[in-house]
Amino acid sequence: MNDPSAPLALTAHLAQVSSISFGGFPTVLPDVRNFVVTTHGWMTDQDFANIFAIAQSIPGPNMILMMSFVGWKVWGFPGAVASAFATFGPSCTIYFASYRLWDRFRDARWQQIARLGLVPVIMGLVIASGMVMARAADTSWPAVAVTTAAASIALATRLSPMWMLLLGGALGGLGLL
Amino acid sequence: MTDLAESQEPEQAVPLAALFTAFLAVSLCGVGGGGGVVWARRVAVEKRRWLTESEFADIVSLCQFMPGPNIVGIAVCVGAKLRGTIGTIAAVSGFLVIPWVIGISVGLVFLEYAQLTVVRNILGGIAATAAGLLIATGIKLLLPHRRRPTALLFAILAFGLITFAKLPLLAVLFGLAPLSIAIAGSEKTRA
Repeated sequence: MNDPSAPLALTAHLAQVSSISFGGFPTVLPDVRNFVVTTHGWMTDQDFANIFAIAQSIPGPNMILMMSFVGWKVWGFPGAVASAFATFGPSCTIYFASYRLWDRFRDARWQQIARLGLVPVIMGLVIASGMVMARAADTSWPAVAVTTAAASIALATRLSPMWMLLLGGALGGLGLL
Repeated sequence: MTDLAESQEPEQAVPLAALFTAFLAVSLCGVGGGGGVVWARRVAVEKRRWLTESEFADIVSLCQFMPGPNIVGIAVCVGAKLRGTIGTIAAVSGFLVIPWVIGISVGLVFLEYAQLTVVRNILGGIAATAAGLLIATGIKLLLPHRRRPTALLFAILAFGLITFAKLPLLAVLFGLAPLSIAIAGSEKTRA
């Protein structure tokens, strides 16, 4: 913890996994856990699980926040800032460059075909991650009903999701789920 | 916001401040993993009408293939599409700066109370709702493709391989995408 090289090692590691985290940051979480818990012992497994649960439930860019909490544990406020930059910096640059490249050829025939083939697969994956989240969250039948109701209302109306999230949180807080 | 303001011409340059506040809202509203897509679509497609349903679906698809937090990628791409480099900076700053400060402060307090039952129950209810919203967003973005049977087939395959076969995301992505693109290509040449 007091080793001055610790924040540097963490920042370098996060920057590296950020550049290879295809499919989003959750895919590299097991690797980050190994690095900070097993390899370096900067925190316990319980610390890491708590940080994850909180990052998932507070608003904001949650994976960047999660890594910032990890940085905070290692090196306080500067560690949190360094971890945040390491998490979004490299991938933002890659996003920008690839968007520019993709956009330059947007009327090309190959890209129209790629788009036609790609979008359905990706949307299947988005729906699947909703189902994976539902499996974790829906521990009772009332919770299943809340998930189903939220999906149906969102499909049928243009009601702001905020109302549904507030209602869901209230039902949970009252101990009904 | 009135209906008139919502239906403005998409060709008008989008103000940088609007990009900043829009992604600030997306960031603060997106609770839980994947929640950001729900709000980014809500703001960029439904409320501000900066993008069509299928333009937005394109950006989400591109972002899935890149490393990093996908939702930050959506901010990068929407900013770049509407206003170029400076637009990206506005959207990403809106997405990150204020929410990060709030998130760090709230999170450090939350870490103290993570064991409380009431806090856990509320979080559980929010998570159940957020899951339903994410499912609905995926379905809405798929709707423009509903007339192509092969599109529906690949969406169902991707969904099933993750949900039921529990294959890793990368395997499904790089296994299905080339196949789906190849079939889309042969359909286009025949048409």
